[in-house]
Amino acid sequence: MTDKDFNYPPLDESEFGLLFDAAQKGAPEMDAEFLTRLQSQALEAMPQEPMVGFTLEKLSLFGRISDVFAQFGGWPAGAGLAMAGAFGVLIGISPPDVVLDATTAYFQTESLNDLVGLGAETEFYWEDV
Amino acid sequence: MALDISQNQQDAELLMRFSTGDRAAAMALTSRLAPIVFAQAFRMLGDRAEAEDVTQESLLRLWKTASDWDANRAKITTWLYRVTSNLCIDRLRKSNRNSGDEVPELADDTPGEDCKLQTTARAQALQHALQTLPGRQRQAMILRHIEDLSNPEISDIMEVSVEAVESLVSRGKRALAITLAPQKKALGLEND
Repeated sequence: MTDKDFNYPPLDESEFGLLFDAAQKGAPEMDAEFLTRLQSQALEAMPQEPMVGFTLEKLSLFGRISDVFAQFGGWPAGAGLAMAGAFGVLIGISPPDVVLDATTAYFQTESLNDLVGLGAETEFYWEDV
Repeated sequence: MALDISQNQQDAELLMRFSTGDRAAAMALTSRLAPIVFAQAFRMLGDRAEAEDVTQESLLRLWKTASDWDANRAKITTWLYRVTSNLCIDRLRKSNRNSGDEVPELADDTPGEDCKLQTTARAQALQHALQTLPGRQRQAMILRHIEDLSNPEISDIMEVSVEAVESLVSRGKRALAITLAPQKKALGLEND
């Protein structure tokens, strides 16, 4: 300590002790209103475990399904498949003449029952449909 | 103030309950930790509004880490002291402020016993003198002599070696001893 150049002798340990003791006793106090605000913020920041877990699980499952769906072409592919299926059903219910001609020529019969191996008692012709 | 082991266990338990959505734990933990953080920030910054901002930010960071908190890794108070110190140092650097022009009011100057007035005067003089120290010295002095932490704890908080802490405290004390010397008589130190 180079205190010989100063007019006042510097503080010694015991004097420091008194100052630190005073600082500890006179700790700055918070406003009650500020503490209330902090408590409100703590409640807002508090995680809502069950809700969070449920949401994440749902999101995770939805995400996995979306991933699989995307692998097969996503919504455009899904729409195309649905339309093709609808046409298939329509042709099955009311086949156009060109389909009947081709079927008759190929299988040598106009009877659907012949094709599937049913007896004559359940005879069923394309024209009747 | 130094915190004992049981207090830290209590804090860890409260934080665990906080992370599971326990409202009572949130209230209790805030009531216990906020004054510690605020006092440290106020002593570092010397400004009530800024100390409140830092307190708010420090606690918000604690709440964010609550669910990932590893009780075996660190003490909550040590972690908070570190966050608060860093936030204060950042503010001091940004404002390029080393010495506090404004002397913070530590306590009400309500007339009372001479002893109380003297304690208040001493605390204010020390606070004013602390504001003249460089940020890191001030931080080390506050943690060592006012918060009463050990040098290893401070080294953990400030992320420097114990030797560096000792050096900061030593230099800070030397500077304070000279700064406060002219006020010895006024503060009643010569008669004690």
